Amino acid sequence: MEKECPVEIGVVFEGERVRRDDMYVELGGIKVPNKAELVRCKSVDEVEDGKVIIKGLDIKDMEEGSQHPFGILVEVAGEQVEPDLEAVIERRIHDFSNYVEGFMHVNQRYDIWCRLSKKSYQKGLDSFRYLGEALTRLFKAELPIIEKMQVTFMTDEADVKPFMEEAKKIYEARDARARALSDDDVEEFYGCVLCQSFAPTHVCVITPDRISLCGAINWFDGRAAARVDPKGPNFRVEKGELLDKENFEYSGINEVVKEKSLGENERFWLHTMFGYPHTSCGCFEAIAFFIPEVEGIGIAHRNYQGETVIGVPFVTLATQTGGGKQLDGFLGIAIEYMRSPKFFQTDGGWDRIVWMPQSIKEQVKDAIPENLYDKIATEEITTSINELKQFLQDNDHPVVKLWTAKKEEPGEVMEAEELEVIPVGAGGGLGGVRIILKNARIHADKMIIRRK
Amino acid sequence: MHAFAVSGKGGTGKTVFSALLIRELTKKGSVLAVDADADSNLPEVLGAEVYGTVGHIREDLLKKKSELPPQVGKDVWLEGKTHEILSENRGFDLLVMGRPEGPECYCMVNNLLRRIMDMLSENYAYIVIDSEAGLEHISRRTTISVQDMVIIADGSQQSFNTAVRIRELAQELKARFDHMYIVLNRMKNSDPERAEKTGLTYLGSIPYDPEIEKACYEGVPLPEHSAAAESVQHLLEKMT
Repeated sequence: MEKECPVEIGVVFEGERVRRDDMYVELGGIKVPNKAELVRCKSVDEVEDGKVIIKGLDIKDMEEGSQHPFGILVEVAGEQVEPDLEAVIERRIHDFSNYVEGFMHVNQRYDIWCRLSKKSYQKGLDSFRYLGEALTRLFKAELPIIEKMQVTFMTDEADVKPFMEEAKKIYEARDARARALSDDDVEEFYGCVLCQSFAPTHVCVITPDRISLCGAINWFDGRAAARVDPKGPNFRVEKGELLDKENFEYSGINEVVKEKSLGENERFWLHTMFGYPHTSCGCFEAIAFFIPEVEGIGIAHRNYQGETVIGVPFVTLATQTGGGKQLDGFLGIAIEYMRSPKFFQTDGGWDRIVWMPQSIKEQVKDAIPENLYDKIATEEITTSINELKQFLQDNDHPVVKLWTAKKEEPGEVMEAEELEVIPVGAGGGLGGVRIILKNARIHADKMIIRRK
Repeated sequence: MHAFAVSGKGGTGKTVFSALLIRELTKKGSVLAVDADADSNLPEVLGAEVYGTVGHIREDLLKKKSELPPQVGKDVWLEGKTHEILSENRGFDLLVMGRPEGPECYCMVNNLLRRIMDMLSENYAYIVIDSEAGLEHISRRTTISVQDMVIIADGSQQSFNTAVRIRELAQELKARFDHMYIVLNRMKNSDPERAEKTGLTYLGSIPYDPEIEKACYEGVPLPEHSAAAESVQHLLEKMT
């Protein structure tokens, strides 16, 4: 029987730094150009379970204090193992190899940097075989869908270099797939309440098409964080039922919003700034604001210091928008959200965007439909509503069509020849009820008050 | 793991004290030195190289956040960079916190940094944090408990005022210090009574030392042996 792993393995060793004074060998790292790690999903007959292949020098053949190129290839197989899981499994190489006492693993993909401590080497950890076996055991324990797993370690430049080139291509293809992921492709979303210290009723709902308002946490980050600490500030949100296709309302989101906003809000519509919009924390990257005069949406970002087209600077808008309240027509967003295919889709998407600072316009140029680019005003064109109106008209911006539509049917929002209004406060039947009309515009030719 | 924090008004000599304390502690075990002063001088005084600051990688992450491939873990990225900028020296590693925050949202990045800092600090027998008087890094970017807080005063009324403010701030921030000491530096006549009036425990004083002054004047690392180093050794014995 082969020797058992001579060092301990456990989560207590996570985050272990092997100091230079205590280091036996170094694998990868900034000074070594060739290094990479990769997980590949294979068919069951291509993988020999438990096998560890070592190409190049093994630890026992290395000189103390030396540095080496390093490649880790993990091949997994199982009926339910799909290529989409490769990235998820790959991330765990970092965690699991750190569980090995005296083994430090830092970074990911083609940046990996590992060290083995003198102490663990002296305890007998002199072969990558132990590391490979430990990884296989840990992976299979956590992900039972992995039926077979084999690990290859490479320390020879001649092997690591082509491996790294190949891995880079695979990362790229994977990234392209990840960027194309949409809300409809996944079963779950993620929530974030990191900002609740500033906005106690705010909760961010993070979906593949909707990055957090700060722009820092995408769906994949949410998933990774929720796995590390499911009770932490990032958590899984079951999608539930799609209640309203137009407004992207999901039953699962509503449940979480109700709970995490402490009952303040009950529904979220994902890709709109009207009705039941997402709330805003306080540290969003930009604010989208509705400009009723032109039926369009303006955007200003945190680093824009001038006045917006509605006459107020970002800071003023921010105080109005933040704090975890649902506010029709004002919404904090991430700049990256402007690249989402669902960017304000309910409201008409890019066709409704009429104004934004020049710098942001350049930054997201790739996302702006080509025919619209010159139709969107910036501070260099105007910061006055009247001029904006003229500009939009002159450039035939899509919102202009809405103006004529409005003129033709003034009652577009709510049309009724006669509308009976429930008497408020009469008879005390509605005592204690709050009625709030936000940004409401009511037009009535005549009001009749009658005794029943 | 035993953590020390050193603070005080600018110019009182907290960086020199930190450096001498670090040197002393390396004789007993591994040390993580944290330069948590935006105007960072600790590396120079210790003669350590700097490869980057936490402030820089933090800003870098915020700038790059949408360029990084979506599946590249930001936590692993930030942790990796933190390890990469750690300056490795005989007996101690040095981490420079660097520039203060800008107007962006730091919720995510500080949340990640707290975990990274906490995990990193577990690796050392001692931590010494050379902290600006605002204590921001201690309150925002780590949850480690600091056993001994040492505030340096140089005898000026302003330095005592700062000492009082730091004590009050520490209470407000609910910062976790077991002991809060005051140390008098470069005073011709030590004045324990006045030091105790700050509400802090008087730990001792460090004499004016021409060797230290010379090293600081020349901008070279502190000498291996000095009268000041000896008194820091005594103060350390009193603390532990």
